[in-house]
Amino acid sequence: MNLTRLSRTLQYAFVAALFAFIAAPMLVIVIFSFDANRFPAIPWGGFSLEWHRAIFEDEMVRDAFLNSLWVGLGTAVLSTVLGFAAAYVDHRYRFRGKTGFALLVALPPAVPATILGMAMLAFLSRIGLFGRIETITACHVALATSFSMAIIGLRLGEMGKDLEQAAWNLGASPATALLRIVVPFCRPALIASFFLSAAVSFDEFLIAWFVGGVHETLPVRILNLLQGQVNPKINAIGTVVLVISITLVLVAQRFVGVKVAKENAA
Amino acid sequence: MNDIVLQNVPTAAAEPASHRARTAGSQRVLPAVLGLPIFLWQAVFFAAPLVFLIVITFWQVKSFRLEPAFVLDNWERVLLSSPFQRALVHTLTLSCVTTLLALVIAFPAAYTIAFRLPARLRDLAVAALIVPIFSSYMLRIYAWQIVLSPEGLINNLLGRVGIEALPMLGGAFSLQIGLLTLTLPIAVLILVFALSGIDRTLIEAAENLGCRRSRVIAHVMLPAIRPALLLAATTTFLLAFGDYISPLFMTGSKPPTLSILVVDTVKSGSQWPRASVVGVAMLGVLAAVFGLGRWLGSRGTGKGH
Repeated sequence: MNLTRLSRTLQYAFVAALFAFIAAPMLVIVIFSFDANRFPAIPWGGFSLEWHRAIFEDEMVRDAFLNSLWVGLGTAVLSTVLGFAAAYVDHRYRFRGKTGFALLVALPPAVPATILGMAMLAFLSRIGLFGRIETITACHVALATSFSMAIIGLRLGEMGKDLEQAAWNLGASPATALLRIVVPFCRPALIASFFLSAAVSFDEFLIAWFVGGVHETLPVRILNLLQGQVNPKINAIGTVVLVISITLVLVAQRFVGVKVAKENAA
Repeated sequence: MNDIVLQNVPTAAAEPASHRARTAGSQRVLPAVLGLPIFLWQAVFFAAPLVFLIVITFWQVKSFRLEPAFVLDNWERVLLSSPFQRALVHTLTLSCVTTLLALVIAFPAAYTIAFRLPARLRDLAVAALIVPIFSSYMLRIYAWQIVLSPEGLINNLLGRVGIEALPMLGGAFSLQIGLLTLTLPIAVLILVFALSGIDRTLIEAAENLGCRRSRVIAHVMLPAIRPALLLAATTTFLLAFGDYISPLFMTGSKPPTLSILVVDTVKSGSQWPRASVVGVAMLGVLAAVFGLGRWLGSRGTGKGH
């Protein structure tokens, strides 16, 4: 009896330690962004908004933020539309080369970003697309659509086959049924995909670093700052970045409604 | 309600010609309209760059310019060079250690989350695992630098209680901290989903038959989640193998991993063909690991390939 309790306590402690390990770096960034000290140290040098103010006055950071915003927004819209199309085609139709089609969309996140970035730079500069903000967006779409397709595909899997057939039988054309039945059914997944694609784009730095040329997104700005001297502004930028990406992911998760226990209830 | 509607509707059999014509027509048009844009997009921005990467491994650099050719010189020079071989061995060792550590840590954690935590806490734990996967890895590594560096937070604290500074940054320890930061949330998440999906009647049956917990884990749970274990292992390996950030910031690129080698070769100017060889070789290793994972997954399940 006591042994069981001890074992349970140890298990909980192990999981608590794991989450402490996962949360620690994010907490360090946020806590020390409000530190008056130039270098993070214990004890804390007192509460200060100095570094947050400094980044709002830094023109390069502002430009990088705006670039990230446009790239993220473009990626979110395009990945969601293309991801929906890919998921629907994969869900509804059978055709030759279907596995290849699905892999073409699903595979990009499995390729290390250094290699993908290098390959994109080599090829896209060859066809004259290097160093544009649209190019960063296009490359982020190629990456993020994989996540969109996965989320929307899951939702399509929950849709009964007869729903669409009923619409056809009632005289709707497949295109009408798609717009009036399937798209509304997928709405939560489409919203989730929008926010998750934005989050993917907002955090990606290696591809943006390779293909962006002089256009820096926010993570690329951070990467370049990190390779210079210690800069207390990094914590402040980091806090902004973390708040934005965590918000995007949590909003996305709300619409996906991930429930681990679901399968057992069925 | 739905049932009634369905029964009263003229079915395909009752109205064959027009219906079949309509769906047959759009069965070609609609999928093409939907599928072509994304196909072309991925072809231009994903597949073509990778194919081009393979192509330039055979090209030549003449007076700092990349020129089309068909030479095997780049392959020979890279694969036979000792910096490449050292980096390959180092990266392979590193990723194998990370994979092992990740599984050993992730399984007990996932077990507790899936079977011990109350439902509300479990959902919270899943959210807490999903969030870091999509939030800046680079920043988290920077934070570990602050924590582990010689004048960092830990040594800061140790100094106050009179313990000498520990050298934590710049070695295998800090590198594993970094790689586990990247891989653990994903590994745990995969195993939590797999364990939650196990049919609980199987576990109860084993327990009713007198199995102790350790036997239930070994003979019921682990076999049931074998595909997920393989997925967690291959994903962890993939991420650790291709990572650029932890080797760069936790060890200062010494010794270099393959990713560091790729970026350094690109940065050093015109050696695109050689950098591409390293990149393609890395993809080859990853393909082999996935192949191995699939083979292990198909063995013993009785399904063959």
